Order: sequence, then structure tokens, then C-alpha cells
Amino acid sequence: MQTVVDLTRCQGYAQCVFLAPEVFELHGEEGLLYATAVPEDQVERVRQAAAACPVQAILLGEGVSAGAR
Amino acid sequence: MASDTLLARITDYANRPDPYPLYAELREAGPAVRQADGSYLIGTYHEIVALLHDPRMSADPRSRTTPAPYNVTRQPPFLRLDDPEHHRLRNSAMRPFGPPHSPGRVDSMRGEIVQLTKELAEVFQEGRQIDVVDDFAYPLPVTVICRLLGIPHKDEQLFQGWTDILVAAADIGPESDTADREQAADQARQEMGQYLVQLGEQRRGRPTGDMLSDLVNEPDAAVRLSTEDLAINTILLFIAGHETTVNLVTNGVLTLLRQPDQLHRLREDPGLLPRAVEELLRYEPPVHMRERVPLVDIDVAGTTIPGGTSVILALASGSRDPLRFSEPDRFDPTRPDNQHVGFGSGIHLCFGAPVARIEAEAALGALIPHLDTARLLQDPPPYRQNAMLRGPRHLPIQL
Ligand code: HEM
Ligand code: HEM
Ligand code: SF4
Repeated sequence: MQTVVDLTRCQGYAQCVFLAPEVFELHGEEGLLYATAVPEDQVERVRQAAAACPVQAILLGEGVSAGAR
Repeated sequence: MASDTLLARITDYANRPDPYPLYAELREAGPAVRQADGSYLIGTYHEIVALLHDPRMSADPRSRTTPAPYNVTRQPPFLRLDDPEHHRLRNSAMRPFGPPHSPGRVDSMRGEIVQLTKELAEVFQEGRQIDVVDDFAYPLPVTVICRLLGIPHKDEQLFQGWTDILVAAADIGPESDTADREQAADQARQEMGQYLVQLGEQRRGRPTGDMLSDLVNEPDAAVRLSTEDLAINTILLFIAGHETTVNLVTNGVLTLLRQPDQLHRLREDPGLLPRAVEELLRYEPPVHMRERVPLVDIDVAGTTIPGGTSVILALASGSRDPLRFSEPDRFDPTRPDNQHVGFGSGIHLCFGAPVARIEAEAALGALIPHLDTARLLQDPPPYRQNAMLRGPRHLPIQL
């Protein structure tokens, strides 16, 4: 599975980092880094992170891209 | 009825089981609806979110002059402070709790929380009558925060006791005598503060890998908390995480027992749970209202609200605003666009949300398999007094 964060929506609330710290990482206080290819054992956590993002900035699926909306 | 009595009607205990029609009336009358006592009530989503992000809106009750000035002299916790002081304290508390400094702390507690909810769920046996509040939801949040902080297990009961007293002081009805409870609360606050400070002292220089150890051993003197701030802010975690979490879990069970088709859906597909928890935060949220005070005169959709006036933001109404959510009165765990305000928004966005989500998911996950044949013994159940922090006092069910 792949994930893309729409960084124009992301507000740096870091809810995703709490739920899937191996996939999402906060760089400094605001900048968000993430792994686009989600390892098999992290898929469930990434789903939780996507549900929890207050601005719904996390897109999931096969072959998603930030322009997909 | 007159719209300037809306707040009085919402807080009227008789309307606790179903305030939602009043919220609909509020949104119709709004966006900004003046109340008879001079305060304002706001129930529309876009205005609520805008005000939660507006730096002119103070969360500090000491900014208030109308309807009545705030007369408690004790220093408020960061929940009710403004930046820069709010930021300083929240940031110090966040370092040992979450990213960027401690990204794994909350996640590493997941297994323990799941285990805890499984143990608590052992009372759910065929044929028994259970009170979901007292027998299950109530002990969960205090235990979790104790484990997070690193309180020795043998002392968890002490914290349950102190939290009980503080929470009871906050759930006062209009007619009750508050002086005794206030005094008990003051004492509980002091004892709890002293305990935390002493334990912190023991761990200074001898860290044991928990949040309290990290707080007292913070190497950067500029962010290290003073003893007083340490006590106030750790007490905040207990109180803020208590009734809120209890209400979310209990509202979850109530909602699912009222809508058996959704219960079955979640039983069949537990992968829906994280989204079901988000939908609960929108549909039956624990926190119904929060207060803010404009520091200067502000304009809200054409209404001028004078500086110093109490403004009550009805978050639970905003999350059911039809201008923002389609079919807002329907509970739908697969709702695609669910930017609710159940955890607030802006700089005071719930600090404990990541923990609360894991607790709610684990709790409902542990209970759902036992609810197949369960039924509510009282519907609506008896509610707590508090209209702003709303939830059942008991939820008796038959298994
Ligand atoms: C389902 C459970 C919970 C709900 C619905 C909830 C809701 C909220 C809301 C609405 C706010 C914003 C208040 C405002 O804007 O005035 C808030 C703030 C806060 N919450 Fe929670 N909360 C929950 C659980 C927790 C837990 C478990 C903790 C502690 C671990 C916690 C700690 C806090 C703190 C410290 C704040 C203040 C944040 C700030 O002022 O910057 N909450 N919560
Ligand atoms: C929204 C409706 C709420 C109402 C009506 C309410 C009411 C109260 C009252 C009456 C008290 C005790 C009196 C006092 O200390 O001044 C209190 C204390 C407190 N509440 Fe709330 N509360 C609400 C929501 C929340 C939320 C959402 C949080 C956290 C997120 C929270 C955190 C606290 C804290 C930290 C204290 C102070 C504990 C202490 O030091 O005594 N409350 N609340
Ligand atoms: S939860 Fe959403 S807004 Fe917050 S950092 Fe992650 S992607 Fe950004």
C-alpha cells in the first residue's frame, strides 16, 4: 500500500506520528516526513493515522498521489 | 421559544438525554446568539472553527467581565491559559509525551492498554447485569495515565480516589452545596501535587523510563517545569483525560446498543473501529461546549461581541451542522469526510487525543464481542449533571 500526505492541508498536528511513528516523522516542530511505501506490518496503523488526521490530509491506496482529489 | 434562553434550556437537566434539537434551534437562530445574561452562544461549524483559531479569543477565564468576572485565584492549567504561557507549558509537557522528542511513547503503550481493557471486560459474562460506567469505563483512564507517568501500581488506587473527588467537584448541579466539595477538591489537589512532586524528586537523576522521569530530568533548563507547574500540569492530565474518556466509551456502547445493525457491522469488520471512534467523537462527543472570551470587540457573521464577554462554543452542535456534514444526525462509521471538533481545534486541540483514541478503540474492541445479546436496561440512562461535559452517570445493561 502507498500513502501520500497532502502537505498543503497538513497542519502539523502530528496525530499521525503518534499512531504510526515508523511511517510518519515530525522534523523539528512542523515539518512532516513520511514513507510513501507502507510496510505490510504498518498498514493497520497507517489506517488509524488516516482516520485520526484532523484535516484528513492522509491519502491511502494503490498508486495514490497528492493530486488525486 | 425565545433564543436568548437557549443556554438555560441546554443546561436544564431535563434536556440532558437529548440536547440535539436545541442545537438545531441554536444554528437556526445563529450564528451568534445573545443570551439573557449577556453571554453569547455559537453552534455553527465554520464560526466555531474560525473562533478556535482566532488569536483574539482568550481561553483564560480571567479575561472575562460579562456575565460575571472569574473569581478563582488559583493559577489555571494550560487548558485555560493563552500563548505564550500556554505554549511554554504545553510544549514542556509534550516533549516526554509525543513527537518530535518522544514519538514512540504513546504507541508503546498500546499493548498494555489492550491488555487492561481485556481484563476489565472479564466481568462481561452471559446473564449478568453490568453498569458500563462503574464496572468498566471508570477505572480505565486513571490507570492508563498512571502507567504513562510511571506511578507505581500499588499507588494507582490513590489516584483513583483523588481523581474521583476532583471530578465530583466539577459535576455540580445548580442546587447542590459546593463549599464542602470545593474544600475536598482543594485537599485532593494538594495531596496529589505533593505526591507527584515527591516521586519526581526520587526520579531526578535516577530516571525509570517513564514520562514523569523525563519531565524532571529535562536537560534544557529553559523548558524544564518548576515544581508548581509540574504538579498543576500533571493533575491536568488526570482530570482532562478522565470523564472525557469515560463518556466516549459509554456513549459508544449506548450508541451501538441503540443501533444493532451498526454493532453487527463492527463485529464483522473490526477494521472499521478507528473510524467508528472518530464518528462517535462527532455524533456523541464527550465535550459539548467550551468557553472563550474575546480580548477586544469582535465581529461574528455580522454580530459584534464586546471584549470580555463569555462566548460558549457548542462543539457538539458544530459537529452536527448540516452546512458542514451531510446527514449529520446519522451515525455512520464509514463517513468519508469527518473533520469533527470533538477534540477541539487550534492551539488547544486535545493534548491527550492519541491516548484517548487508543483507549476508546481498545475498550470498544474488547466489549463488542460481548454485546451480541446485550440490551439496555434504561434508555435514556441517567446522565451526569454537567451539560458541557455530557455523558451517562450509569449505563446498566443486561447480558
Ligand atoms: C475522548 C476523550 C477526550 C476528549 C473528547 C477530549 C476533548 C478535549 C477537548 C475538546 C479539548 C479542547 C478544550 C478547549 O479547546 O478548550 C481538550 C484539551 C485537552 N485535553 Fe482532551 N479529551 C479527551 C481525552 C484526553 C486525555 C486522555 C488527556 C490526557 C492524557 C487529555 C488531555 C487534554 C489536555 C491536557 C488538554 C488541553 C490542551 C491545551 O489547552 O493545549 N484529553 N480535550
Ligand atoms: C466543557 C465543560 C466543562 C465544565 C463545565 C468543567 C467544569 C469544571 C469545574 C466546575 C471544575 C472544578 C472547579 C475548578 O477547579 O475551578 C473543573 C476543573 C477542571 N477541569 Fe473541567 N470542565 C469541563 C471540561 C473540561 C475539559 C474538556 C477538560 C480538559 C480537557 C477539563 C479539565 C479540567 C481541569 C484540568 C480542572 C482543574 C482540576 C483542578 O485542579 O481542580 N475540563 N472543571
Ligand atoms: S495528522 Fe494530518 S495534519 Fe497532522 S501531521 Fe499528520 S498529516 Fe499533518
